[in-house]
Amino acid sequence: MIVTAQKPLDEILDFLSPYNSILIAGCDGCTQPPRGLREARTLAQLIELGGKLRGKDFNFKVMTTPKQCDSYLTLASLQPQMKDMEAVLSLACGLGVQTIAQVLPDVPVFPAQNTLFIGAEIREDSTLEERCAACGDCLLALTGGICPIARCAKSLLNGPCGGSQHGKCEIDPEKDCAWDLIIKRLEKLDRLSALDEIRPPRNFGEVMRPGRVSG
Amino acid sequence: MVQLKVSDSQQKFAVKLNDESCSKCAICYSACPFEAIKKEPETGKLLLEIEKCQVCAICYSSCPAKAIDITYYDMNSLTRYLENAKDEYKCDSVVITCKGSLPDLEDVEKLFGVSEFIPLSVPCVGRIPVEVLLKAISTMGIKAIHILACDDGYCRFERGSLIARLRVTAVNALLEQLGYGKEVIRFKQRSLKVKADRNKCISCGNCVFYCPYSAARLEHGAATFDLELCRGCGLCVTLCPALALDLEHWEEDRISTLISKLSREKTRPNILVMRCQWAVFPELGEEFDSNVHIIDMPCAARVDPLHIMEAFRQSIDGVLIVACHEEDCRSKKGSKEARRLTTVLKKTLSQIGFEERLHFCSVSPRHPESFHEELRRFKERIESTCSQEVR
Repeated sequence: MIVTAQKPLDEILDFLSPYNSILIAGCDGCTQPPRGLREARTLAQLIELGGKLRGKDFNFKVMTTPKQCDSYLTLASLQPQMKDMEAVLSLACGLGVQTIAQVLPDVPVFPAQNTLFIGAEIREDSTLEERCAACGDCLLALTGGICPIARCAKSLLNGPCGGSQHGKCEIDPEKDCAWDLIIKRLEKLDRLSALDEIRPPRNFGEVMRPGRVSG
Repeated sequence: MVQLKVSDSQQKFAVKLNDESCSKCAICYSACPFEAIKKEPETGKLLLEIEKCQVCAICYSSCPAKAIDITYYDMNSLTRYLENAKDEYKCDSVVITCKGSLPDLEDVEKLFGVSEFIPLSVPCVGRIPVEVLLKAISTMGIKAIHILACDDGYCRFERGSLIARLRVTAVNALLEQLGYGKEVIRFKQRSLKVKADRNKCISCGNCVFYCPYSAARLEHGAATFDLELCRGCGLCVTLCPALALDLEHWEEDRISTLISKLSREKTRPNILVMRCQWAVFPELGEEFDSNVHIIDMPCAARVDPLHIMEAFRQSIDGVLIVACHEEDCRSKKGSKEARRLTTVLKKTLSQIGFEERLHFCSVSPRHPESFHEELRRFKERIESTCSQEVR
């Protein structure tokens, strides 16, 4: 899931201030926390209140899109709503914002979120944790299903390093040391010897940025 | 200044056992659904552990020796209310409802086929003593009593609905023998539950994770509820990001309309109180200043951040959320989640300097003054915030 965090209200108000009629578009896709209709409505009310304090009245239309990174679906759901709208505020990740920019070439679009990472939802703690770095050369078969690229602060392939303390990372004692997790899990599965094998260097060229594959 | 905590012994409690009149029959001990009444093995003396007590008053309505005192809806105030109401409403039917199954009176006609009636709404019908029913029929000229209880498995006080049903059967038999006719008291049960719109569901799984009763599951890509398990707390509704869920009688639109209506009040500061109906037992005929608006909720978990935003947008000056203490919550984790959601919302509101206008408090009916004390303090705070703004 793509993890996002709402931008500070002042920043949003700054870029919306030249416009009066704004379409607020949520996304029912994979954004976490979910940025659907509830979030879109809440944000609209917050901006309205914040705008009033600045002496600015907005006219909002609030909707949600099934999957904002899908250009076909997004155009189909946005187009009928665009009458008299001067700008779009998107609650989706960076992909959604760019999809809107692509399908509505004449309309300014603004992000309501900062896109943070690909993360997993740990419901029990109400947290979202980065788990995949989209590196293009997946190592999970070797590392017991735990990614050292995304979850080790140094993205080490030969951890743990000296900063691993009691299973936690020296940069943040709240965070687990990914290599500590990997070693313990492989031990438990009796697969630790898999790490003894000498391997060629990783193929960092697998994904040439910007990435593109034919679907 | 250091505030001294009022010790428990000085606080006024909602239930009291009187040793002098107690006959030690221990019916209260057997009837209490919360094991809040202890029996001393040697003396047979009965002791109330007030912190376990949920103020359902089943003990009170069961006590043959009238050795229990309660603050809410005691026999005198119930009969006084009915006597006064009879003149006011000029009719001879009474409708007694549990707040849990009938938060307002809209459905009464549909349920009982009566359009003119004296309403009596209480937290659990199991608290009504048989004497009140008999007195109403025999001496007050009441011709019919309709009682609406929650379904047995839905009763917030475990046995309240069941006990009320058994009593009604007994009282009806007695009244029939005395010549008052058949089924003078009509008894119905129902419960208010979640409504899911599968077309709006985005399969996020929030309802599945948060439902305290494991009533939700994802089936063929959409939330599906086992209504037998749903206890109508509304937590899933409040947490649904797609607004695909709703709760009977506490529908989103219904609460929105109510807030719009209340926000038209001109007296400032305008205060909205969203309170769990199990946290505060209102007095019969409860009244507030014209600028204080109460919306009773099925659980603090149904207090929706969207509604709070709406209230502020419509010029409500302050919102007070009143929940049960976490250990008393009738929906397991409703109070806890409501507190968490308030913290999140306060952070959002801090961006427009509104965080002090929202306050969350936990109270219990076992301390009758606690709600009014919280409301008084909040009112003062909002009054001072508003007066600073004017300057």
